[in-house]
Parts: sequence; structure tokens; C-alpha cells
Amino acid sequence: MYKILIIEDDPKIAELLRSHIEKYGDTGIVIDDFDHVLEQFEKHAPHIVLLDINLPSFDGYYWCRQIRQISTCPIIFISARSDKMDQVMALENGADDFITKPFYFEIVIAKIRSQLRRVYGDYAAKGQERTVERNGLTLYPERMELQLGDQTVTLSKKEAILMETLMERSPRVVSREVILEKLWDDAFVDDNTLSVNITRVRKRLAELGMEQALETVRGLGYRLNMNWKDRKQG
Amino acid sequence: MKLFIREHLPLLAFTLIELLTVLAVFWFDGYDHPLTALYALGLGLFVFAGYLIFRYATHRGFYKRLSHPVVSLGEFEQRHEPSPLPSALSELMETQYKQYQTMLQGWERKHENHLTFMNQWVHQMKTPLSVIEMIAQEEEDERTRSIAEEAERMRRGLEMVLYVARLDTFEQDFSVENIALKQLVNETVHEYKRYFIRSHVYPEVRIEDGLYVRTDGKWMHFILGQLLNNAIKYSAGSGQKVTISAKADGHEVILDIQDRGVGIPKADLPRVFRPFYTGENGRHFKESTGMGLYIVKEVIGKLNHQIELDSTEGEGTLVRIHFPK
Repeated sequence: MYKILIIEDDPKIAELLRSHIEKYGDTGIVIDDFDHVLEQFEKHAPHIVLLDINLPSFDGYYWCRQIRQISTCPIIFISARSDKMDQVMALENGADDFITKPFYFEIVIAKIRSQLRRVYGDYAAKGQERTVERNGLTLYPERMELQLGDQTVTLSKKEAILMETLMERSPRVVSREVILEKLWDDAFVDDNTLSVNITRVRKRLAELGMEQALETVRGLGYRLNMNWKDRKQG
Repeated sequence: MKLFIREHLPLLAFTLIELLTVLAVFWFDGYDHPLTALYALGLGLFVFAGYLIFRYATHRGFYKRLSHPVVSLGEFEQRHEPSPLPSALSELMETQYKQYQTMLQGWERKHENHLTFMNQWVHQMKTPLSVIEMIAQEEEDERTRSIAEEAERMRRGLEMVLYVARLDTFEQDFSVENIALKQLVNETVHEYKRYFIRSHVYPEVRIEDGLYVRTDGKWMHFILGQLLNNAIKYSAGSGQKVTISAKADGHEVILDIQDRGVGIPKADLPRVFRPFYTGENGRHFKESTGMGLYIVKEVIGKLNHQIELDSTEGEGTLVRIHFPK
């Protein structure tokens, strides 16, 4: 579990960031006194800092330099400024990365993870692997494996993303827009590719003995029905 | 010289008439000596010629100035003039120039203030927009997705305002580099992925890996965004692909963005790059400000690239950008 210090003067954004970080099991600390940032940094001794550029009294660059004098902890800038110069300034003042507002939570979390891995890599190895679990069905997104009981199947990257999306939202229907958006990250995906991948996932599920779990809801999308456990026991 | 002659022709006529009248008076009075009369006439003309030469010598600059068109405002600078008429003109022009300058500076300041305000305002709007987008991401259902969609449209609108505001100070705000075209296109396409998915239109990128163009990455990114936005908007729901392809052709690289949507009516084609021009399609599609293609054309010009647009109604639109090497 890591401590993440959020230095952002818009209370709503700070709070949203904090709540999202806590969803992933880490601790978010929101600062509300922008005159004594350094003291609070020392008090909380966070593993990583999210820092806004526009702050009351001193700006983010200033605090970044201050923090750098006493610590090498990762600092990620978060700002509405998207100019190349601002990013260069941030990096030259000691930041490790830069995220422009508005941002996707996935990107913030991914960038935090990547900094944590780089700096505290040793701890991370001891940390727990991320898993998604529903009704005895377990997905290991990083290993791309799906496990039910003592049976395990290996998934392709797209299948793993698809499975994760379906499991996280189960038993709700997941629209094709949501799935396409998730799949789109490495290459462009169209409806046909989606259908192909759905078929493949069905095949993997069938290998685990779950023939009827993935249902097509006409005009809406797909739903993962959690009916496998009953069936197995019955 | 021409102006000087034209100006003094009436005076020449006047002098001749006057001399002849005086001579006639003496002639009719009975004093009929042709040689003396001729001498008097010659003397009179000689004095007149002397006046003209003096006048031309002192006013040469003045006439030159009057007969040459003004090239720049700076020409009204203070100049020392020997004669009253030129110096009066100089003074008049100078006061006018000064007044004009003050007014111009006033407007410039106003314009600058306005731009600064716009910039700050857009940045201020980004924070609430971020909050809305973040809240919409928290929980995904139909309503929040719809909110996220609208927020995305707002963000694109704000982005456009920022770029339009920057157009005035373009020279300070661009740097030409070697840009990998495929990467640039992929990034832009990725940014529009939600819009693609929602519109049931899918991109097809056919660009080789090693293709580089000399351009400004940020502006080009903006241009591609505008063009993709149009391509998606006008082919939404068709289920057709938007094809983005590029090829090197001798001394230039050509980038094509081809959609297979509604196309543009022939009558509208010559005017699509005009500001605020929305044409026939603007009446059927919302969100047409008529500014997108105009700004694209402006920026393309400033970057020294070329753009062509060809379209057949009902079949689709092809936008072609030429990057000279």
C-alpha cells in the first residue's frame, strides 16, 4: 500500500483523484494548506506526489524544486496547461512525468503504477498481483489467465481486456461502445473484430465448462451471467 | 515633375494672357513697335520661367511625395521642409499619423486584452470540465456516458477557441521538426476514438513506418483533428471506414483523408474554406460553425503546406495535404 500526496487546489478534482486512488488500494492524501506544502510533504512522507502547476501563492514548479532538495520521490505533474514549454519546464524542475487535464483515470493510475514500479520495484514484486474475481471465476489480467476451480486457460491480450470489462460490470449489460473503447488501446477495433473476439472468449469459457455464461443482448451489448457456480454444483 | 507641370499649366496660360493684354493695350494706343513688344514679351516669359524654376527647386520633394503612393505608414515621419505649403502638409500628415497610431495602439491593446481574457477563460473552463469528466468516469451507465460525450464536445470546442486565438501570434508559436507521420496520425485517431465508436465509423490507417514530414507537430495535430472530426461527422452511421493514407511522391509527401459519407454539394465546394461558411451540410448537421476548414486552410498556408478538397455528393470527401520536402 502506497501513500500518494495530492497537491491540487481544486478540491473536487483532488477528492475525485483521492477516491479513485483508494479504489486501487492505495492511500491518497489531499493537501489543503498551500503555504506549507513542504512541511506537509515531510509529515506524510508519501511514496509519490501528484502536483498541479497553478497553485495559490507559489506555483508547482517552485514546490517541485523544494521537494527535490530533500527527496527523490516520484513527482507527476497534473495540469490544464498543455504547451510543450510547460512540460519541458516541469521536467526540468525535477518532475518525472506530466499528465494534462482533462485526463482519464486509467492513465493517471497507469502512470502512478509505472513510477512506483520503477522506484519501489522491489516492494512491488512482493505486493499482490491484481485479480478480478466473480463467483469463483478469477482473472489474472497481468498473466492473462482465467481460472475456475482447478482449471486454467490462457487468454490473448484482447480476450483478457474483454473478460475484465465483462467481469467488472457483471451482471450488468456492457454496451459495445464501452468494450470497443477498452479494446481500442493497442489498435483500432471495429464491430467485426469485436464479434470475433467475443466468439473467442466464448470458446475459452467453454473450455472451462461455461457454455452459456456470455450472453448477447440484442441492440444493447453483452452480459456475463454468473450462473456457472450453480451449474457446477448442480 | 508631371504633377508640377499640370499644376502650373493654368498659371502659364494666365501669364501669357496677361502679357498679351498689356501689349494689346499699348498697341491699340498707337505705340506700334513690334521689336519692343517682342522684347517685352520675352522678358516677361523669362521672369516667369525664373519663378517656375525657383518654385520647382524648393518644392521638388513636395511634388514627389504627392505623386508617389504611400507604401508604409512610417513614410509620414518628420521631414524638414523649406517652404510653407510642404511644411504645412507635413505637419498635417504627422498629426494625423499620430492620431491614427494612438487609435491603432488602443485597438491593439483591446484586442490583446480580449485574447488574454479568452485564453484565461478557456483554461478556467478546463477545470470544471475536468471535474465533470472525472465524475462521469467514476460510474459508467447510459447517463454518465451521455454526459461524458457532451463534455468531450465542449472540450473540443474549447480547444478550437484556443487554437483560433493563437492563430494571430502564429509566428511565435510554431517550430518545424521532422515528425513521424504514422505516429502523429495514430495519436490523433486515438483521441477521436470515442467519436469513431459512437458514430459507427472506423479508421483505417495506411501509412508506412518510416515516413517523415517537416511540420509543426502541435498545429498538424490540430489540423488532423479538425479533418477527422469532419470525416466522422459527415459519415456517421454509414458503417463505412475513414481511410487515412500517405505516400512519398518525389519531392513531396501526400496525406489523404478519405471518408465515404454524405459528401459536399458541388455548389458549396469552392467556398468551403471561407470563414463561417457552412453551406448545405451546415443546415443538416449540428455543430457546424464553418470555422474548422477555414482555420485548417490558414494554418496549412502558414506552415507552407498545401491542401485540396474534393467531394462527390453521396460518395464522400477526400482531403489531400501536400508536404513539400
